[in-house]
Amino acid sequence: MRRLNAAAAAAVAIGFGLFTLVGLLSGPESGLFYALTTVLLQVAAVTAAASILIGILNLLSVHWTRLKDRRKGWGYSLLLLLSTLLVLALVALERLGVVGGSPTPSSILFESVQVSIESALAGVVFFALVYGAYRMMRRRVSGAGILFTVVLLALLLGSLPLPGLGLLASVRDWLAAVPVSAGARGILLGIALATVVTGVRVLIGQDRSYRE
Amino acid sequence: MDSTSQILAILILLLAMVVSVVVAQFIRRRPNLYALRPIEAYQALPQMVGEAIEANQPMHFSLGSASLGGENTLLTLASAELFYQGMERAAISAAPPLLTVSDPTAIPLGYTMLRQAYRSRDLLGRYRSSSLRWYPAGPRSLAFAAALTAMLGDDRVANNVLVGSFGPELALITDAAVRRNQGVLAASDQLQGQAVAFVMADQPLIGEELFAGGAYLGGSPTHIAGLVATDVLRWLVILAMLIPTAVAVGDAVLDGRFSQAIARLLGGG
Repeated sequence: MRRLNAAAAAAVAIGFGLFTLVGLLSGPESGLFYALTTVLLQVAAVTAAASILIGILNLLSVHWTRLKDRRKGWGYSLLLLLSTLLVLALVALERLGVVGGSPTPSSILFESVQVSIESALAGVVFFALVYGAYRMMRRRVSGAGILFTVVLLALLLGSLPLPGLGLLASVRDWLAAVPVSAGARGILLGIALATVVTGVRVLIGQDRSYRE
Repeated sequence: MDSTSQILAILILLLAMVVSVVVAQFIRRRPNLYALRPIEAYQALPQMVGEAIEANQPMHFSLGSASLGGENTLLTLASAELFYQGMERAAISAAPPLLTVSDPTAIPLGYTMLRQAYRSRDLLGRYRSSSLRWYPAGPRSLAFAAALTAMLGDDRVANNVLVGSFGPELALITDAAVRRNQGVLAASDQLQGQAVAFVMADQPLIGEELFAGGAYLGGSPTHIAGLVATDVLRWLVILAMLIPTAVAVGDAVLDGRFSQAIARLLGGG
């Protein structure tokens, strides 16, 4: 029975996948066919939005379990649960018109807490990256590692607004325009080709997500 | 989309489909037909899982902001296949593997992968839905990264497989893992995340390598056929770049007569 269900699910997914692909490739000229494809894509978008509810339930259940079992870091879980309830209550009160103002309290909370913390973290990323580059050279001195360090130094020094570094600035521009750009395009091309093949695997029902 | 692009897209899809199906049949008959070049990260992954099992600590898998229904849907499916291979090995451990996602659309897929991994070992009773954690991403995914840095310590993670969609915030997660002596295998479809993975991870995967997990760790003919199809498309792209370059160089050297000669050979001009 389980196999039958999986086969039926795969058949539905493959059918709709092919239908959508043909609809998108044929474009708006195909009329009703394209309109149906657009409806299918809208249904997918609505389904994706509904998955946020699953996410919230997951978050609450994971942290409730952690709090109940008094696992390491349970204090943070308690804080998270209380914050979630507080924000939900605040937004509900805003919708009911009990709490108001412009900007709304929930957006003030968002701007002053989450955005500030994320900005601080963005500053830490730089130090983590520099430490990572240092650690790479300490861990293994390879040709790629040396090349990486030399290029990094050239790019950083070339960006300094100091007189007499014109040559380094030219080297920096050349590095960014030629080898870095070529490498980036190479990586993206590789990813694009592998994506096409993965798409084909999905369309012909070879992907694991179809199996039960 | 103009008609030329439509025809090209259909031809590429058909070619990939035909190569995938035909080569899979050949490999089923002769499993050693196509030799895979060694990729260090895939050789290291089973060992990383083994270390986690021996230490009775969980393996951590993360998709980052990879999602279903968006531009990186296929990346999400490829990463999920790689995670399945790792989770299947880690399912026998007393410490269940952890999967973290930041996009809610990846949650159902994550649950499916975890259940499949336990079922393949006949250990479905050990499956816990709390093995999957959703941490909302925030505007720059930094909240997700911050949550993970705390989780790595709280859950005493042994090793990390961070394969999906990550930006520069991957540096924070990797740094936290390194400070706790945890191994990291990482790859991202975003160039900034890919650069961080190359510099900071013990085992980086580069570019399309992250789509090859199923072939390297599972070894099924259909996955290996997918690699052959990628190779065929890659050679076609190389030819599509080399031929116009050769014509341009030939014209520059022979004062335009090279392309005229080719046109005459092909029956034109």
